[in-house]
Amino acid sequence: MQMIVLAVSLVLMALTALCFAAAIRSGGSARPADRSEERRRGLIWAMLVVGLVVTSVSLREWPHSVSAAAADQTVNVTGGQWFWEIDKTELPRDRPIVFNVHTADVTHGFGVVNESGRLLFQMQAMPGYVNRVQYVFDKPGNYRVICLEYCGVAHHDMITEFTVAAN
Amino acid sequence: MVEAKYDPQAGPVKVTMIIAGVVLILLMTFGLIMRLNQAALIEIEPALFYQIMTAHGAGMVGTAGLTGAAVLWYFMSRYVPLVGAVYNVFLGLFLLGVVLILGAIFIGGYAGAWTFLFPLPAMSGGLWTSGAAATFLLGYVSIGVGFLVMHLEVGRQLIRAYGGISGAMAWPLAFGKGRVEDAPPASVVAAMASTIFNVIGVVFGAAVLVASLVNLLVPGFEVDALLAKNMIYIFGHIFINASIYMAVIAVYEIIPEYTGTPWKTSRVFAISWSFVLLFVIAVYPHHLLQDVAMPAWALVTGQIVSYLSGIPLLAVTAFSLLLYLRAGPIKWDLASSLLVLGVAGWSVGSIPAIIDGMIVVNKVMHNTQWVPGHFHIYLILGEIAMAFGFMAWLVRDARKSAPTGTRMGGLDRLAIGTYLVGGAGFTVMFLVSGAMSIPRRWAVHAPEWTSQAGIASLFAVLVIIGSTLFVISYLRGLAGDKDA
Ligand code: HEM
Ligand SMILES: [Cu+2]
Ligand SMILES: [Cu+2]
Repeated sequence: MQMIVLAVSLVLMALTALCFAAAIRSGGSARPADRSEERRRGLIWAMLVVGLVVTSVSLREWPHSVSAAAADQTVNVTGGQWFWEIDKTELPRDRPIVFNVHTADVTHGFGVVNESGRLLFQMQAMPGYVNRVQYVFDKPGNYRVICLEYCGVAHHDMITEFTVAAN
Repeated sequence: MVEAKYDPQAGPVKVTMIIAGVVLILLMTFGLIMRLNQAALIEIEPALFYQIMTAHGAGMVGTAGLTGAAVLWYFMSRYVPLVGAVYNVFLGLFLLGVVLILGAIFIGGYAGAWTFLFPLPAMSGGLWTSGAAATFLLGYVSIGVGFLVMHLEVGRQLIRAYGGISGAMAWPLAFGKGRVEDAPPASVVAAMASTIFNVIGVVFGAAVLVASLVNLLVPGFEVDALLAKNMIYIFGHIFINASIYMAVIAVYEIIPEYTGTPWKTSRVFAISWSFVLLFVIAVYPHHLLQDVAMPAWALVTGQIVSYLSGIPLLAVTAFSLLLYLRAGPIKWDLASSLLVLGVAGWSVGSIPAIIDGMIVVNKVMHNTQWVPGHFHIYLILGEIAMAFGFMAWLVRDARKSAPTGTRMGGLDRLAIGTYLVGGAGFTVMFLVSGAMSIPRRWAVHAPEWTSQAGIASLFAVLVIIGSTLFVISYLRGLAGDKDA
């Protein structure tokens, strides 16, 4: 996911920059375009249509959905200055797991990272709230929990681990 | 219609830009120190890192706001008789706030970040006292009151001169039978919209500041953390956006001097600014996409409005500028180049921001370095580029008579090139780091991440060199002005 996002962003950014570069290089010699307002309308419509498609595709499945079927695989996670407490450290693979994310003090960010260092998902840990997030681990191995909301001087040291069993 | 008819209040604005220029260089150096520490090329204590991070964040957001306000005040004082004393009060309150904030951070040890996310200021884990946190928040209050006073004066005068909010926003033209000839100047529409949303943002900010202050002083006083977070991001989002929307007034006012065609308030322009007003206020939930306690409709709104915000920017402001550039020869000098760069950087930076505004993407990009990646693009290469462009324009007459006689000297080209290459490289390194899941706001980085930070530090040095050249050229221009 991240690499696709990076590639798409860089391409669109480069195209935008090229529009400016081309306009600057034209040196004002381009014909005063009498169809420019038509083009502008075209751009607005194109952005609206692309937006509609991207929005509906990206939200068709609600990204934060938590299914009732997963309720038996519940893990309680608590963040505090500056530690993570997690009540199960060995989790099954290929099954939806629901994390109940709590905080003992300030806001923290529950982030889960795989062995190659890629962030898989995250959820805020808010005072006074229990935030639930669901994930299916399809690979066994060691996973790290990091903090993704600034919480004070040892924020970068709030790291713990859990494993996903081979079977 | 009302044309420019007053002498703009140049003196205090020029002083403001001196302060801003010097502060920018200092705070950029703070930024470089952070990146060098992440590269493990220097080593500072985490406590100091987070103090510097707090000073850099609060200071940069404040400076961006300050430069935006200076542009707003300067150009609006062409059209309406603004009371000069108000600006001095604004500047005084701003500087008082800066003193309080710096004291809180570097004497009191406050390191709760510029976002003062509730309840972190009151729960430092022993790092700073509640007195330090309160001083920091009072510094914000002082700056906020200054902005409020400044905006109320601008708003009051625009409302009086242009027939109410509706007239100043060009609503008759946008939504009624109004004619183009009767519409206010483009910069007045932008000024009215920015004034409205920034007042709303500052009022929300004041409310959550007071709540946080009471929480510090009366520990039993409970605030709902999610409500506080909503208010903080309404304020934070609006304030930093307002700085850009105010700075773009410099583009609307100055670029026509270089092309010879005025930046007209067309129907599309008027409609787009009404949508900007709406979007800037409604988009803030894109900062809370990982808070499932928020109602789903709010998160969906955040995602959709993030995307829609790109339309007035890209299809109206950027598109119009491209038309200007294509339609007629523009005279290039430091000012016009930096203003065009500012719109280009703002447009380019909006793309990774919009993409991160999608909930699915945000799930793996939020609070990684992707975020400082996108906002440094539209700040360094956007808002601050416009501010430097405005500075260069303020001293354009002194600079024209420079010995070389050319409008765009070799040193100017060097400065822009350095700044552009540095800014692009520096921000792309943040984006790459974010895509590699490197978290933001980490004092200490894993060994496998240090090379990105090292390369980024090199680019940061270029940004600082470019900025220093801009500021020196501005100061020399001011000195030349006086001789003349
Ligand atoms: C040479 C120029 C600059 C350098 C080297 C620099 C460097 C940095 C670094 C290293 C961070 C922390 C990244 C992290 O979270 O890991 C940061 C954060 C930030 N920077 Fe900059 N920056 C520069 C210019 C600017 C400018 C011009 C602005 C705004 C006008 C700005 C606004 C911010 C803000 C708002 C933050 C967020 C602070 C926080 O997370 O609390 N920076 N910068
Ligand atoms: Cu943390
Ligand atoms: Cu925002």
